[in-house]
Amino acid sequence: MVKDGGVNVLVGKLNEILVKAVAEPLQYVANWGRLYSLWPAHLETACCSVEFGAASGSRFDLERFGILEAFGSLRQCDLLVVQGSVTRKMAPRVRLIYDQMPEPKYVVAMGACSITGGLYFDSYNVLPGIDNILPVDVHVPGCPPRPEALIQGLILLQDKIRSQSELAAKIKIPQVP
Amino acid sequence: MSSPTPREQGLAEQITNALGDKVALDYTNTRRLRVSTSREHMVEVGKFMKSDLGFDHVASVSGIDYPKDQIIEVVYHLGGYGKTEMRELLLALACRLPRDDSKMPSLYGVWKSVEFHERETFEMLGVTFEGHPQLERLLLPEDWNDIPPLRKEFKNPGR
Repeated sequence: MVKDGGVNVLVGKLNEILVKAVAEPLQYVANWGRLYSLWPAHLETACCSVEFGAASGSRFDLERFGILEAFGSLRQCDLLVVQGSVTRKMAPRVRLIYDQMPEPKYVVAMGACSITGGLYFDSYNVLPGIDNILPVDVHVPGCPPRPEALIQGLILLQDKIRSQSELAAKIKIPQVP
Repeated sequence: MSSPTPREQGLAEQITNALGDKVALDYTNTRRLRVSTSREHMVEVGKFMKSDLGFDHVASVSGIDYPKDQIIEVVYHLGGYGKTEMRELLLALACRLPRDDSKMPSLYGVWKSVEFHERETFEMLGVTFEGHPQLERLLLPEDWNDIPPLRKEFKNPGR
């Protein structure tokens, strides 16, 4: 029962046991909760917000996929859909809104303007893509994207949430030297 | 281009009779006139347009950059609601400024409505309007640290 270095095998496997018995089930439950109650912040920067509104409406009905309607406080929100072009004046405000949201939080860049600047890529006042100011999880291209495209992007985001595993790293005990 | 009616010709005559060499009449078309003047005479011409001709508001103030001639042109579009026959008429009052010394008197004393337009021209083209009550930035970001963006030598920083 003694490995090289004199560390007990059971103790050496403690990390693995903790991950398998605690972290993975907890992670599964946490991910399940997160991905079926995504709550977008109500931030409309440009015309893509119309398509976003249509996607939340009764015809396309985002809520059947577990994405709530965009209302409520920023402290409850965990999804920031950047809807359209972000001007250089708006950029600090968008970042401020992102910073006010609690972890974990996800960002979807919706529309050509928020991905690359779109039509206004060479304008003096429009940001050529928001990935300089925010960590973007999913890009949804289109000008504007149809609600179906947005729904596909959000399902992609749910797949990403389903496979995230940040608990395993947190639960690890330090190795005995 | 259509030919001017007697109404516009009458206006043009009034302007040249009253102001003489201080203004240059660029063109007279249907419902459109264009008058250019120098910055020294700007306030005087403005007062004449308001009190004698009945142009009671400024519809827009815009600026044009001509880097080849080293000139910035500020154009005031004047309109009049007071008289029925003036309502469809627009008069462009232009003033050419040297590019490296783009200062001119503000027309805030003549028309109150130029306040925000002149602020916008100030931030977009760097024209300083002397006598303006609040010559500050209007639309640009607070931390803008570049030359005015509508000057032709402005380069977009990009990504």
